[in-house]
Amino acid sequence: MTERRIILEMGTGNDLYGEDYTKAACRAVQDALHHSSIVLFKSLGIDHREMRVQVTIGVQQPDRVDVDVVTAELPRGRAEVNIVHGGLNVHDTDNDTTHVIATAAIAALLPIDPAQWRLNKMARPDRPMG
Amino acid sequence: MAKTRLVHQFGMGSSIRSRNYTEAAARAIRDALWHNSLNVADAFGFPKAAMLIDVEIGVQQPEAVDTAALLSIFPYGQPRVSVVRGGLDVDKPGGGGTTVIANAAVIVSFEMERNHD
Repeated sequence: MTERRIILEMGTGNDLYGEDYTKAACRAVQDALHHSSIVLFKSLGIDHREMRVQVTIGVQQPDRVDVDVVTAELPRGRAEVNIVHGGLNVHDTDNDTTHVIATAAIAALLPIDPAQWRLNKMARPDRPMG
Repeated sequence: MAKTRLVHQFGMGSSIRSRNYTEAAARAIRDALWHNSLNVADAFGFPKAAMLIDVEIGVQQPEAVDTAALLSIFPYGQPRVSVVRGGLDVDKPGGGGTTVIANAAVIVSFEMERNHD
């Protein structure tokens, strides 16, 4: 069965005074996760362990992120975390402070066979596709 | 199986100076929608137009929300909006007006069933 992406969740997190890239990354993951709830597991009786979770974190210093700590933030599915150069650092020269901003993109993939599902007869789209 | 919920999305929006409950609700909906890219219609092989979108808004003055004005935010699907008393109003210091906070939940469903053919 073909694996299909069901959602891409996006979030941002920062660490304002500690220059802790792992903390910023974890907050970005939490922000991304908590703007949605994938209720189809319960609605359709699908085990969440069938879901593959692809996490990409963008920060300005990727080597300073502890991947295992970020992976532990993902309680459902099978998560893989990849860290790349991205995000944003905001440096305050007046106060010699750097704010670290991380971006998280979390893709959830599930093996779904569209041939096993159909709209029922009540479903009659009355608006054109956007 | 009839109308089936697949994903819920959550957001928050505010109107800081104009006490515009509709604008705060619109920003809450955009916050919910644009933190996620949904692929469920494609994944199940359904047309996007068949997506049923139930929007629940919470604000302190539900009657002040123009629900018809919120429908144009949705790029596709069949949105319906309901408003309840919720959210939060916060008075500015010194009686200089009120900041409005709206909560939004966007519930995505399809009229779907297993294909037994």
